[in-house]
Amino acid sequence: MTVAPGLPGGAREDRRFRPDAEAHRRDAPRFCPRCAAALGLATEFWEAEERRFYCWCSGCGWAGEITPGEGGVRGHEPEH
Amino acid sequence: MLTAEQNDELTQVEPGTRMGEVLRRYWYPVAFTRELEEFPVKRVELLGEFFALWRSPSGRYGIVPEPCPHRKASMAYGVVEANGLRCPYHGWVFDTDGACTEQPAEKDNTNFQERVRATAGRVEELGGLVWAYVGPAPAPELPRFDTYVMEGFRDIGWADLPCNYVQIMENAVDPHHVEFLHGRYFEFVGRHEGFTAPASFGKEHVRIGFDAFEWGIIKRRVLKGATEENDDWKVGHPLVFPYNMRVGGGGIHQMQIRVPINRTTTRFMLYTVHAPDGYEHVEQPQVPDYEIPVFDDRGRHVTNYVEGQDIMAWVTQGAITDRTTEHLGRSDIGVAMLRRMFREQMDVVERGEDPLGTIREQHDRIDLPCEKDKFHAGGAQFALDFCDMGSTRFSPVLDTIKKIHISAADKIAAERAG
Repeated sequence: MTVAPGLPGGAREDRRFRPDAEAHRRDAPRFCPRCAAALGLATEFWEAEERRFYCWCSGCGWAGEITPGEGGVRGHEPEH
Repeated sequence: MLTAEQNDELTQVEPGTRMGEVLRRYWYPVAFTRELEEFPVKRVELLGEFFALWRSPSGRYGIVPEPCPHRKASMAYGVVEANGLRCPYHGWVFDTDGACTEQPAEKDNTNFQERVRATAGRVEELGGLVWAYVGPAPAPELPRFDTYVMEGFRDIGWADLPCNYVQIMENAVDPHHVEFLHGRYFEFVGRHEGFTAPASFGKEHVRIGFDAFEWGIIKRRVLKGATEENDDWKVGHPLVFPYNMRVGGGGIHQMQIRVPINRTTTRFMLYTVHAPDGYEHVEQPQVPDYEIPVFDDRGRHVTNYVEGQDIMAWVTQGAITDRTTEHLGRSDIGVAMLRRMFREQMDVVERGEDPLGTIREQHDRIDLPCEKDKFHAGGAQFALDFCDMGSTRFSPVLDTIKKIHISAADKIAAERAG
């Protein structure tokens, strides 16, 4: 492992997952869906096929999850 | 997953950084009371800065930055005198307010000494620990959390860990690790070392939850076989922002303290009070402290006790864990919540407001919510597991602690029978 640009001193980059880090930098939501201010923080986590971002707006205090939809959408079939 | 810049900001402790400024709004334990009774001045590292901490003959405490304002020699080698700390180099004296009260080689008729203050912090003693506040004035009150003032038999385990404190705090909002790190892994180690790991630690999590409250985040869990009426969910236990976690059960009350010494060193302390139902007062002239093992003589982590397992998990993440390439799941949502709380408090401090958990009202005691029937394991059994399988096994007063729990349980049983 090597030291990545921008990582704090003492942190070592795990190069195996550099594409995930780049995807995060590319896709993390930047603006609040309520007030459109810059988001204070968007922590990414994964759930099944989805990438989710737990977001908090430092402007208006809104917090919530944003899930990008890529390629298509899925509904669900009620049991019948 | 965060960006590198967010990880950098989150893990800062130094003065002038956003998170460093948040951290400077809190009190920290910087010595054991007995240390300054044995020798009255100590070099202290806290939040990436060095200080000289001293106790005067009359029992007053002071703390100033280590470099003397005169020529930068270390005040931690100073001479403790009745009215302050005297620099060993040229004899300048600073009182507990940071005022320079003597400059022996300078003329008396100048105002030179009034122009050099030592930016003193505040120091108080509580519960066998010496606490310091090194942030901007006015200092908030030192929070008198229940563990530090309650009746009971105390000891303090500690270790200095080579990692950033944030990854340790993230563990405090990560309930699932218990059933694997202290359950499955503990069983694995036990099978190879010839002991039986406590069964209650391996119970499966059915539900987890986190609620912000006035001191931080309350962590809740429902374990298999339990319901939301059990203490683990109904009461839970708190992460006490920004660097503590209150835990307990079975008549044991503990504050887990994680002091950011510098960016990649954390003083981990286990402040434990044994006060089971039926406890009878045991005199303690001094609170004993003891170092817990981190590595064995081959440099491998010691993982055959609960806190040693935690330490292994914290330290092996690296000095500062690389959050740009982690892969959080839904079960890590408490971690995301904690990061948000850190980030929120940076803004609060920048606005000039008091961050979460600072207290300005005088008070006698702050009771924190904490489950009593932990892991629905039964009080006495949890206490004995705690003694045998946790860091308490290294305590110099282990025998006394076990006797306290056994005699208290016997007393309660006799009362119920009679």
